[in-house]
Parts: sequence; C-alpha cells; structure tokens
Amino acid sequence: MAVIRDMIPAFELFQPTSVDEAIEILDRYGRGEAWVLAGGLDSLDWFKDRIKRPEAVVELGSVSELKGINGGTGGLEIGALTPLAEVARHADIIDNFAVLSDAASQVATPQIRNQGTLGGNLIQDTRCWYYRGGWPCYRAGGNICYAGTPKSMNREHAVMGQSRCVAVNGSDTAPALIALDAQMVIRGSSGERIVDAEDFFVGPAIDIQRMTVIEPGELLVSIRIPGDWAGARFYWEKVRDRQSWDWALASVASAMFVSGGTIERARIAVNGVAPTPVRLTDVENIVRGQPLSDGTIDAAGELAIRGSRPLRHNDFKLPLTRNLVRRAVRGEA
Amino acid sequence: MEILRTAANPWGENILLGVAWWLIWAALLAGVAFVVVHAVYVGATGGKKGMTPGPAGAAPVPDKVERHSRSSRTYHWLMAASMLTLLVTAFFPLVGIQFAWVTIHWIAGVALTLLVLWHIYDSFFRQDWRAVWIGGRELGEMKTAVGRFFSRDKVPHPRMAKYHNDQRMFHHAASITGIGVIITGLLMMFRIDTWFWASNPYFLSDSTWGLVFVLHGLCGVGLITLVIAHIYFAIRPEKRWMTRSMIKGWITREEYLTYYDPDKWLLEGEAKPVAAPSGSGGTDAQGDPEAVAPA
Amino acid sequence: MALIGQDIIPPDLVAKVTGRAKFAEDFRADGMVFAKLLLSPMPHARVRSVDASRALAMPGVLGILRAEDLPEGRGLAPERALTDEPMYVGEPVLAVAAVDETTAAEAIEAIEVDFEPLPFAIDPLDSLRPGGPNARLEGNVPRLAEDEEGRNRMTVQELKWTEADFASLDEGKLPMGEHTDEWTHGELDPAFSAADLVLEDTMVHQSLTHHPMEPRSSMAYWDNGKLHIYASTQSTQRTHGAIAGQLGLDPSDVVFVGQYCGGGFGSKIAGAPIYVVTALLSQKVGRPVMLRITRYEENYIGRGRPGFQAWTKMGFRSDGKMTAIDLYIVQDHGPYGRSGDHLTAAGVADLMYQPDAMRFRGLTVYTNTPPRSAQRAPGGAQIVAMLEPIVDKAARELGIDRLEIRKLNAPDHDAEFGANRGRLTSAFVREAFDIGAERFDWDGRKTRSGERNGTKVTGVGIGLSPFVGGSSGFDGLLVLRPDGVLHIHQGIGNLGTHSMADTGRAAADVLGLEWDRCAIIWGDSSQHLPRSSVQAGSQTTHAHTRANHAAGMDMKQKLQEIAAIDLGGSPASYDVGGGRVFASSSPGRGMSFARAAERAIELGGKYSGQELPEDLHGDTVPSATALAGQGLMGVARDNYSHEGATWSFVVGFAEVELDVETGDVRIVDYLASTDCGTVVHPRSLGAQLHGGAIQGFGQARSQKWVFDPTWGVPFAHRLYTARPPGILDVPLQMDWVAVEEPDPQTPVGAKGIGEPPVGAGSAAVTSAIADALGGKCLCRIPLTTDVILAELAGRAQPHRPLEIHS
Repeated sequence: MAVIRDMIPAFELFQPTSVDEAIEILDRYGRGEAWVLAGGLDSLDWFKDRIKRPEAVVELGSVSELKGINGGTGGLEIGALTPLAEVARHADIIDNFAVLSDAASQVATPQIRNQGTLGGNLIQDTRCWYYRGGWPCYRAGGNICYAGTPKSMNREHAVMGQSRCVAVNGSDTAPALIALDAQMVIRGSSGERIVDAEDFFVGPAIDIQRMTVIEPGELLVSIRIPGDWAGARFYWEKVRDRQSWDWALASVASAMFVSGGTIERARIAVNGVAPTPVRLTDVENIVRGQPLSDGTIDAAGELAIRGSRPLRHNDFKLPLTRNLVRRAVRGEA
Repeated sequence: MEILRTAANPWGENILLGVAWWLIWAALLAGVAFVVVHAVYVGATGGKKGMTPGPAGAAPVPDKVERHSRSSRTYHWLMAASMLTLLVTAFFPLVGIQFAWVTIHWIAGVALTLLVLWHIYDSFFRQDWRAVWIGGRELGEMKTAVGRFFSRDKVPHPRMAKYHNDQRMFHHAASITGIGVIITGLLMMFRIDTWFWASNPYFLSDSTWGLVFVLHGLCGVGLITLVIAHIYFAIRPEKRWMTRSMIKGWITREEYLTYYDPDKWLLEGEAKPVAAPSGSGGTDAQGDPEAVAPA
Repeated sequence: MALIGQDIIPPDLVAKVTGRAKFAEDFRADGMVFAKLLLSPMPHARVRSVDASRALAMPGVLGILRAEDLPEGRGLAPERALTDEPMYVGEPVLAVAAVDETTAAEAIEAIEVDFEPLPFAIDPLDSLRPGGPNARLEGNVPRLAEDEEGRNRMTVQELKWTEADFASLDEGKLPMGEHTDEWTHGELDPAFSAADLVLEDTMVHQSLTHHPMEPRSSMAYWDNGKLHIYASTQSTQRTHGAIAGQLGLDPSDVVFVGQYCGGGFGSKIAGAPIYVVTALLSQKVGRPVMLRITRYEENYIGRGRPGFQAWTKMGFRSDGKMTAIDLYIVQDHGPYGRSGDHLTAAGVADLMYQPDAMRFRGLTVYTNTPPRSAQRAPGGAQIVAMLEPIVDKAARELGIDRLEIRKLNAPDHDAEFGANRGRLTSAFVREAFDIGAERFDWDGRKTRSGERNGTKVTGVGIGLSPFVGGSSGFDGLLVLRPDGVLHIHQGIGNLGTHSMADTGRAAADVLGLEWDRCAIIWGDSSQHLPRSSVQAGSQTTHAHTRANHAAGMDMKQKLQEIAAIDLGGSPASYDVGGGRVFASSSPGRGMSFARAAERAIELGGKYSGQELPEDLHGDTVPSATALAGQGLMGVARDNYSHEGATWSFVVGFAEVELDVETGDVRIVDYLASTDCGTVVHPRSLGAQLHGGAIQGFGQARSQKWVFDPTWGVPFAHRLYTARPPGILDVPLQMDWVAVEEPDPQTPVGAKGIGEPPVGAGSAAVTSAIADALGGKCLCRIPLTTDVILAELAGRAQPHRPLEIHS
C-alpha cells in the first residue's frame, strides 16, 4: 500500500455537548476506536498524515462545562478545554501562579494558543520525528526505536528516563503544573479519579504506547491548582531553536518559597529531556532549608542531570538542563 | 485472524514484527484445556492403577534413593524462578498489567541463560545426558503406550527409567522452546540499552529481526502452555512424591521399585541389599540425605 | 524623475489584502478534477512494477499518469515530473486523477508499487570514500569529458578519493582529494608568503529548502487543442515558453496564467518540472486537472540551496590587507543537474576581499537528497556567512577594527574578480560601509562587544554580501490607448517584489505620466507579453527599467513625431508631460496623449505597431503584432550600453545577545546598508533588505535539513521541523539605508537587490555570534543552540566534524 500524506481520511464526527454524552460515545465505540479531539493541533496532524485513522472522532468544542477558570488564591480549577491563550492572560493565574501563565504564553504561536487547549497541551503526543513519520517503532506498536540507534538523528530526544523509546514529552504547561502540585481530574464511565500532575504522565518503561494515565474512554476534565504555592517565587524558562512554533529543547518550571535567604520549600520540574516531564524531587530535597547560595545553586544543577544518558546528538541537553535548573533555583537568568 | 504481526518499514516494505498477541490467550487456553481434559480423564479412568513394586535389579536399593542432587534441585528452582519472572514480565504488560518490565526481563533472561549453560555442562560432563534423551527404546515404549491407550485391555504401565517418557518429552519441548527464547532473547539484547552497551537495532537486517521476534514470541507463548502443564503435574496428588523429590532430593525405596525399572535406572555404589517392599510409608521417618545412594 | 524613488501602491495590493487575488490553486474550470502524487519512500530505487488495477477500479478514479507518459529527460538533468527511478525520498513516481482529492488519495493508497532499493548517498563525503555509494547509477559527480565526437560535455562520472585523502577527516579537516573545478589568479605561494597571518578553517553549511508560501500547484485543461495552464512562477513570459518546450508544443498553443506568485526565491524561475503533470493528465482524462501540492510535497520537490563542506586558507598582511585565499568546496547537490553555487561562492569571495591571489578548487557531488536550484543569492549567501567570521578572527588577531579590515579589502569601481577577472559597472561598497556604520553607530556599538549583562553577552557583527544585480537586452512593450491610459506589458511575473509594477515606472517617467494613467499588464501569456528576463539573479529591476525606458523613449519619440506631423515644427521642439505632448516653447500648443493615440491608429505603420523594430526578440514580435492598431505603440529592445558586470552590495550590521548558560541567541538589532544604485521604490527596497535578512537569520540560526543516514529519509520536511525563522526571531525594529549612487551603466541607475540581503543577514549574525563567543568561529551553519552550548560548556560537539544533514 502506497503512502500518501496531507489528506484527512473520512471519520464519523460526534460533537457532544456534555461530558457524560462524550463519555457515552467513547464507551459505545470501545477501546481506542473513538478519538478525542480538543483543539486539534496534535490530532489533525495525525489525521492529515493518515497515520492515525480513527473510526470516530469526538470533538469537545461544544462541551462548555470543560471550559473556564474558577477560584482564586485558595486554588483554581481550570477546565481542560480552556484555551491556552486564556490561561496565559488570566489575571488570577498571572497574579498567583505566574509559572503557568508564563509557560502557556510560550506555547507555539498566538494562533495555536487561541485554538489549543490546556488539556490538549498536557495530553499531546510526542514529536519524535521517527514516530511522527509513521515509522513502525515501539511507540507505534513495533519493536524498534529508530531514534535511539547509534546513527540516529536524536538531537531533540531524551537524555534521561529512556526505556527503549527515547522520545520526549513536549508539553510546556506540564512542568509548570507539576511545580504547582496540581491535580488532574479524570472522568470515565466508571466515575471520576484524581491524579497528581507528576503521576499523570506515563513513561515508556511502563507503557511505551501512551503518554498519560488516561485510559481509552476517559476524559481529562479539569486541572486543579491548590493554593499552597500561590504567590511563590516562580521561575519558567523554555529554550528552543526559534521563538515561535517550536517545542522546548529543555524547559524548567519551579515554585519556591525563600525567606531570609533560605529556601523553605521548592518544587521543580523539567521537560523536553525525558519521555515524561520530570519532577526533580532529589533537587527539591537538597535545596530545602539551604541558603540561596552559589553552592546550593550549583549542587542543584549537578544533581538534576545525575544519571542522565545522552544519545549521539543531544549531549548539549545536559549542560542546558543543569543551567536551567541552576537558574530556577537562583530565581533569575 | 493473523498469526503474525507485520508493518511497513520506513521504505514501505512489509516486515515481520512478531507473533500476534492473541496467541497468549490461545496458549493459556491450550494449557488450561489440557489440564481440564487430563484431570477429567484421570478422574474418570482412575489413572494408572495397579502399579505395584516390582523386583529389584542387581544393585542394592537403599531406603531413600536420590533422584535429584542438591545442585540439580538448586538449578531447577532457580530456573523456575527466572522462567516465571520472564513469563510474567513478558506477558503481563501485554494483557494490560503495566509495570517497568524490561530491565527485570533481560536480567532474568541472562540468569536463565547462565543456568541453562551450567545445566548443559552439568548434563554432558557430570551427569548422563541420556537420562532425558528420547532414543529408540523410548520411541518404542511411546508407541506401545499409545497402543495401550487405545486398547481395551488395561495392561499395567511398564516401569520406566529415571525419567519417564512423558518427562523426557516435556524436557525436549522445554529445551527447544527454552533454547529458542534464549538465543533470540540474547540477540534482542542488542536492541536495548543495558549496563554494558547501548542499543543497536541495526545489528541485524529487518527480515532477520522479524524472524528473531517471531521465534521469540512463538517459543515464549509455547512456554506458557508448557509451564501450565508442568505445574499442573507437579501439584497432582499422585505425583506429589515426585515434586517432593525435586524439593528434598530423594524418593523412597518403594517408589523407586514401584515406578522405576531398576534395569533402566541403575543405582550405583555400595548400599544395603534390597529388601522386600515394606508397604506404604515408613521411609520418611528415616530420611537422612547422607544415607541416600547417589543416583 | 517623478515616479522612480517614490513609494507607490502596486496594482496587485488590494486584491492581495482582500483575498481576491487568485493564486494557482484558486482557479476553477468546468468539470475540474483533482490529482494526487505517489512519492518514492526510498532514497534511490527502481520501480519494478506498478499494480494500479484496484485504484483504477475505484468509483471516481479517472486515470493514472506514469513516467512513460512523459517526454524523455535529457543529459545531466534527466529530472522529470514523474520517474521510475526515484533518486530521493519524496520524488513523484506517478499521479492519479479522481473526482476529488479524498478519492485520489485513497486511490494512491490502493496502488501497489514494487520498488527495488538501490545504493544511495546522503553525505557527499560518504560518496567520495573508496567504495562509497553513488547517488546515480552512472556515478557521483558531474564533470567535463569528451564524448564520442570529441566534444567536451558535462557527464556523470564516478570519482572516489583515496583512504589517504580521508586521513585528515579525524582531525576535523576537510579531506581534499581529486576535484573537478579549479581556477587560480595571481601567484598563490608568494601571496601567502607575504602574509603575516594565515588562517585555515574547515567549514560546513547546510542545505535549505526554499519554502515559498505558495507551493508549486497547477491547474490545466485543453480547449480545441490549446493548453490552458495556471501555475505559480517567477517569470511569466519565460515560463510560457518553458512549458511549451517541455511538452513539445508551439508557444501559440499554450495559454499560461500566473498572476500572483507566493514566493519563488529561485525555485520557480521558469516554472517547475511538476507542471507538466496537470497538462498531460488533463489530456489523458479529458477533464481539467488541478494538482494542489501540499506543504509536505513542496518540501521534497520545492528545491533547495546546495550545502557546502569547505576548507579555506586566508592570508593577511599585518595591516589587514588580504593577500591570498585558497578555497575548496564540496558542493552537495542532490541528484540532478549542476548549479554553480560553489563557483559563484568562489567569485564572491574573490570580489569581496580582493586578494592578490586566489585559488579555487571544488567539485559537485550528487546525493539522494531533494534537487537543488538557485536560492536567493546562490553560493553568495553561503560563502559570506562562512567567511566573514574568519575575517573577524583576523581583525582580532591583528588588532584592527572589523569595519576597517573590510573596507580595506572591499572592491571599488576598478575591481577585478574571479577566474575571468571580470569588471564591475559600479561598486559603492565603502560608501555602504560608511553610511551603515554611521547609522548603526558602529563605533559606539563595538565597545559593547563582549559586554556581559547577567548571563547574556553582547556580540556585534558585520557581513558584506555582494551579488549580481542585473542583465540587459530585453524588450519593452507599451501601448498608449486612445483613452490616454498607458498599458505597460510586463513578461516578468508578480513575485511579490513589485518589480512588475516598479520597472514600468521607467517608461512612465520618460513620458512624464501620472501613475494612475498607467496600467500594468502582466501574468497572462494571452495578454501579449514582451521577451523578458527569467526574473532570477536579481536581474529584473536593472533589465526591465532599461527595457521599459527604451520603449518609453521610443514612444516619446513617436509622440513628438505625431505632434510635429499634426502641429508643425520639428519633433525635437516638442516635449511630453502631464499626459500631453506639447511644444517646448509654447506649452499651450500640443495634444493629449489620448488624441495622439487616436492619431497613431490613424497613421498606422510604426506608430500603431504595424511596423516593428527589426532587432526585437522573436518572442516579442507576435505579442506586438497582436497589439498593433490598438493605440500608440512604444516598443524597443534595450540597446543601452552595459560594460562590465552589474553587482549590488549589502552590508548587514547586527547586534546579538548570547546567553552563555543556554546557548540561546537573540538578534536585538539589525541594519542593512546597500549599494543598489538608484532607489526605485523605497518601501519595497526596505522589504527586500529586511525580508532577505530574515531569511538569512534563519539560515544562520535555525533552518536546516536532517536525514536519517540509515534510511536516507528526511525529517525537516515540515515547516516546524525545518524551522525557517518566525517573526519573533527578528528584532522589533530594523533599519536600512541606501547609498543611492546611480549605476553609470544603466539609464535609470538602478541595480537589482533581491538576493544580497540574505547573505548580509546571515553573515552579520554569524559574525556577531563569533564576536559574542570572543572571536571563536565555530564554522558551522546553522549555529543552533546545541552547537553554541557545546562550545560554551566545553563538551563534545553534537555533530561529527564535517557531518552534514544532521
């Protein structure tokens, strides 16, 4: 069968108006036969390339209960279908949880941020170009990682957490939400479950064909941000090859409380360096209670990349990640 | 239903990925079906009734006859552990129980490989490999056994050598599938990052890899059925003495004389003269591994 | 001069901003059907068999076009629109027509093609290794050889270097085995002996796709044996002829329409090979056929700039004067043809630094990567971005100002350059340096070089970029209608540069006519177009201000003659202006242009185009003949003198901020200073200078090709993976300034300026990055974050020395 790209094949389109209705349709189609479509920026790429060919597509644009931001300093609940642009410019987020608005404001382009949703940004599939090219790799159900061979082009791939697959998670908002200790509210036909942001993502060691814990038939409904880190000292930085429409070569998000020159508590996460966003618990532990000194900053940076294993073309991600973590602890570039 | 999984490689050529995973369920079903059919059959026919101890051979038979040396037993149980680990780490994730299995799987695989290498050395250089071999005699016996199965006259089973023919058959099947998964598994080690090297999936060609994956899959799936059957026999009441021998190492003199033909399983060494069978039981109390005759 | 030098609203603008402009894929015809392409999945293969039976049996599928249905390819460039021996991943193998695109796509998927993989090469150096693969069955390099009849011809041959040649590769030095191209001027050894400083560097420059916004879509149908084809192109008039030629048709049997072109950058000079597909498929299925090329397909068939693996040795006297250049370039050229990027690069190096002696050696190597063609300053944009940071290094070592070392070596009007020691028409390079330096405050800025602000370090850079800027000898064709409107017929296309409007102003100015009395006729071969340039090599502004000036002068002469006939006196006693021809001594005595046009029709002969100048090109004659009798015709060949080569110059000045912890680079300011002769259209010039610079920023910083070497499959085949620059990669404010000295060899004084802005942008940035790194030239383009950070962090470079497409 010859291959052709850039032409979306036909599918059955459903446009439910409630979460229950959406879940009912997903259930009716069973495991993986129906595709959930939010902003479409990930999905339509797959469809256009005719690599993913779902029988049915459940488009959530009309489910108003999935949109909107509620709450205040005591915590926020953000509907999964809230556009990234709205997250980026929401006053409560800017005032209390700026690491999230900063991250959201650097996703792709203004057009994509208007169309793309927070949930979609979190759930997006990896951009490994071997996988995206329709190659039959592990992630696509095959038995090889084309990106991890000694001859592969893997400059943008993982330097840690690889397990056969070396793809990276591309979400900008994920590390920010991990830093904020957010929770993901997931609903399926059997009810609702709540998962911590850092446990939401699944690495290839556990399941090589999935990016998150979301099961077929489930929806990410909302993201809850607790008030614990409101007003913390935040740091967000994303390094990329060009300043728009580009995924992070590495990104860092942190939330810290610093008092009298001492780090009281901190949450730090990086992305673009592993198959999942990585919460740097070890780094958090060694900086807690420490003075905000060069020694602490450097130790944090070194610890962040301990045990990492660069591929042929991505050794640069080690100093990059180390320096980003140092900056996050330092609190400034 | 396809037996093999295929995909188009980056050049659009069709390549083999491996066996279809529905074979897991087929193998499981085959194992369970075997167990059920066998259990029903034995329940209905009463199994191999009427076996009584036979005459002893030339060599004296001690109260406890060593069937498995300490090292053989250690080998067996280590192999069992690695095999079960391999099966669990291979198939649980495929049926939806997700965990980080790769490292455990390859370490268990390496362990199995080393065990099997030791076993091969042990059986060729320290033990008699013919003990498990299916030769002309065994084939003849198997032919007779098949004939007996279908005949109306329920002639008692003849007594066997140290390893029964069905055990020999199992050993052959397990050896072939085991060596199959080991060789293919070792090749597949080139495709993952280990502590010793980084993955290189281009070590073999697409088509060779396809074959490797299919063989690994077939042998692996086959082992599901074999292991089910093996465990089933190990826990059947009338076979428990044999299981015990795999734990403690010996069988009783009576068991020896009942199930084995001393001409086919020759005991060696100095031991006390063979006494008449003293009925059931009684031997356990005297269990002293030191006194056991070497097999 | 009333119009030249003024900003105008070009006639296509309203349609463009309101969306009414019709690009190739916007055209429709009754019964139109759609085509889709089947692309090669392999970098080099032979089609053993095609089974399309299932596809052709599908409802709505109308037909298939195979390579065998196409005219034969020829010689060095056997490239055809479809092939049975694809030489790169993505090369079209066949096309299918169906009632809609969905059906056509499904039909493509239903076709079974049996490909036999053939050896392939992605990296030229791999192909040059002993026993290395050849991209083409015949060999791996184009070179001159005698054919059976003893004629020297370009042929494809096998060329391999020895293992000994490759010994230097491990030290990161370009291996330099046997080459096919060489020239020298001056005495190289004495020139190097005279040098106080000799710098030697190995350099890599990537290949880049053109990425025009509009892909090469086309629509075609046949009407009573005449082909009507709608496609995107650079030069309308030359594409018309090219399509006719490709199909073996008489140009009069082809109507070509290409009114708007969403960018070409050299990739659509005379159309594109793929355009014959709609023409032939339409003929085969008897319906109009539209082929919309997708972005994915455009990345494969849309052409690319050749990549270089190069080595240079440059000698400098202690005062900064360059004494010698020794340059070796391995040009990665894809599988077809032979562009002269490497040759041009050598000429540019010689021109911009004027060394006492120079040797160039090099060769073109075929690879199984997409075909190359000219891309905006072909050869020039690569070499200036590669060499300028090395000149910076020399300036640093010799303790000379970086502006001064460039001015010292810069060419002037008497400069000679290249193998043939060519001369220029004009070169106001030092003036461009001076006004640019003043506007950019070079003296102030250079003190900021290396300044640290937190983790950011400032770098300032300069890049000189020369490129050819004009040809001559084409025809101008004007008709002054009886309504007093001047119709300016332009065979050049609407490339977005406004040159099809701007160059017409040369005629309007000669006639003293207001712009709203002028109508530009363009983009449709049935509208009677004169012989034009191919609209490449920045020829257009120069060539067509000249041609329209010549036609304008012809018309003015005729107006004067008509006035003299009707009103008495000599023609010379009449002048033109305000839409009238009038007596110089008594402006009240005269006639309107409208009246003169009526009179021209009445008079006939040369006045209305019944008689034409004998030196007109054969392509212009039928057009002029068709227009005869419609008004007063001005028609002439550009016979103005043109001694020497016309080159334009752009100097780019850039300031960057480089983050030493992340390797991130932001361009914070950019200024382009140019010598392009007379400024024809300031706003459009600014757009060229800045637009080209932005392309250069992408070249220097982010844009590249990546191939998996095992499979020969590219990954930078989407805009987001190819990474052309976005507007956020551009400084908020950019400035430009022009010398505005007219070129003495052309009546309007204007030189072309489409191309040199790219190299200026790229070189200013590579120079500024090297400056921020303390004078370290990494000699790899693009200078992506990983390359810079590896250097800063003292870690292994992500690419092996000379690795390309990585």
